[in-house]
Amino acid sequence: MTDATPAVEIVDLVKDFATSFRRRKLRAVDGVSLRIGAGEVYGLIGPNGSGKSTTMKALLGLVAPTAGTCAIFGRDSLRVDSRQEVGFLPENPYFYKHLSGAETVRFYGRLCGLSGRVLEDRVGEMLALVDLEEARDRRVGGYSKGMLQRIGLAQALVQEPRLLILDEPTAGVDPVGSRQIRDLIFKLRERGITVFLCSHLLEQVQEVCDRVGIIFQGKLVKEGRLEDLISIEDQTEVVLRDASPELVARIEELAVTGGAELVRSGRPRTTLERLFLRETMKGGKDS
Amino acid sequence: MRRPGKQGIGSHGGRVLAITMNTFTQLVRMKVFYFLVVFALIMLGSNFFDLPQHGLPETFGFSVLRAVMSWSLGAMTLFSMVLAIVATALLLPRDVEDRTLYTILAKPVPRIDYLAGKLFGVLLLLAVSLAVMDLVMLGVLQLRMSLFMGQVEAMEAAGQAAEKVARMRAELLANGPDWSLQGAVVAVFLRAAIMAVLALFISTFSTSTLFTSIVSFLVYFLGYFQADMREAFLRTTGEGLGVLERGGALLLTLVLPDFQMFNVIDAVIEGAAMPLAVLGKLAVVAGFHLLFYLLASWYVFAGKEV
Repeated sequence: MTDATPAVEIVDLVKDFATSFRRRKLRAVDGVSLRIGAGEVYGLIGPNGSGKSTTMKALLGLVAPTAGTCAIFGRDSLRVDSRQEVGFLPENPYFYKHLSGAETVRFYGRLCGLSGRVLEDRVGEMLALVDLEEARDRRVGGYSKGMLQRIGLAQALVQEPRLLILDEPTAGVDPVGSRQIRDLIFKLRERGITVFLCSHLLEQVQEVCDRVGIIFQGKLVKEGRLEDLISIEDQTEVVLRDASPELVARIEELAVTGGAELVRSGRPRTTLERLFLRETMKGGKDS
Repeated sequence: MRRPGKQGIGSHGGRVLAITMNTFTQLVRMKVFYFLVVFALIMLGSNFFDLPQHGLPETFGFSVLRAVMSWSLGAMTLFSMVLAIVATALLLPRDVEDRTLYTILAKPVPRIDYLAGKLFGVLLLLAVSLAVMDLVMLGVLQLRMSLFMGQVEAMEAAGQAAEKVARMRAELLANGPDWSLQGAVVAVFLRAAIMAVLALFISTFSTSTLFTSIVSFLVYFLGYFQADMREAFLRTTGEGLGVLERGGALLLTLVLPDFQMFNVIDAVIEGAAMPLAVLGKLAVVAGFHLLFYLLASWYVFAGKEV
């Protein structure tokens, strides 16, 4: 298999669900086609009920397409062996409450055919990656929401898949936990792992994704490189530090004489999330 | 570092074993073994119950031994049946509700492996539970036997007729624990195993644990009338049975287990021997139903969109 093989290839995917009494069919996904190259971080965004989760489930073989095909690294996703290359974290996951963190990762590792020393090493490595080493022997039933997401990531990555599928990975997680998950996605990208995620938190998608698709009423209405999609073609941004009011006035004059229109000038603002993180992390270090 | 993914997707056996052990641990940690305390209490209580007897002095200990056997096998039947149905009915809906099923089926796990693992987990729990109950029963019976033997020896020392003492000793030994009793315990397990796979099949299309449990118990009671229904069906269709009638009777036999076959358990309590051939026949029937309903569950579950 060459490197040119896409990590994900969805071609004309259609998925109909039968409604009550089977009188009418509900089309959840309507002719979606997308291609994700190996090593990319791809974000699928859309409102509730737009078909994001159904697309992901079809890609994982959890639902059978009505029409079209889904492939993971060239293998039809209805084939069981295609799932060896994929890790999946569903939205709001719950794991077996009777298992500890380490037992949970071990169980999923066994399902992927790992055993012995390799499995034990991998369990330790994954718990370290998601920062749950201290909670490794605690029952998952007592984990917080953020810890559940992280143990979910550990199980998803246990067999070292080349593709990671994340469905709302930061839903219900506090900003600190959310940041940890985001940092983890960056780490995975550095390792060359392809990430396919869907999220409602558009700022996060913007921060981590290389390419984005917007899905609405089952159709992919927009797709492309994030930079291309969000840059405003006819505007240029200049950010200065320690600029005096006189300098700003001269730049404004220069812009007007050069035939440009000054749209806005002022102090750039941080986001509320960054402010929250800065203050809470500082508080954490102080205490 | 070696890429774990390169180990391959593993064997069916490895995955089934992982799910089996997980299911077993899950049920054990749900504290299902607490019922063993109730069983121990029943065992203690059974010592105070005598089955109706003919009043002959030679039968002085047999009725107590039979009461212990009867109460034990009755309790084993009750507990194994409830465990088989309720535990199995609980497993699938819970995995769907908690979305644990997504994370399992998103791994390279064929659906037959998942179902087989769940079923074998329940069967392992049943086997361990019955083995523990069997040991408790044997312990109580052994204790009772030694007490009665002591009484017989005392009678011998007191100068009772040697022939009478020898007859009582032989009768006691004949009514004590033997291989037929172990065969009856295995039969209890086989009957519970059939109910577990039936509950698994029903839970693949059922929408709730309650529905699965109620339908399973209903099938259990119907199973006791399977032979009668089959006979009545063949009789009413009269002479010159057509392919359709024979096919109908065969289908009934395939779909509904004949639980009257397990009446041999009661015969063992009454003191009858259980030939190995009978136990073998029960094992074959149970094996057939396990395979039939496991494949039927797979057929339904394979097309299920989770």
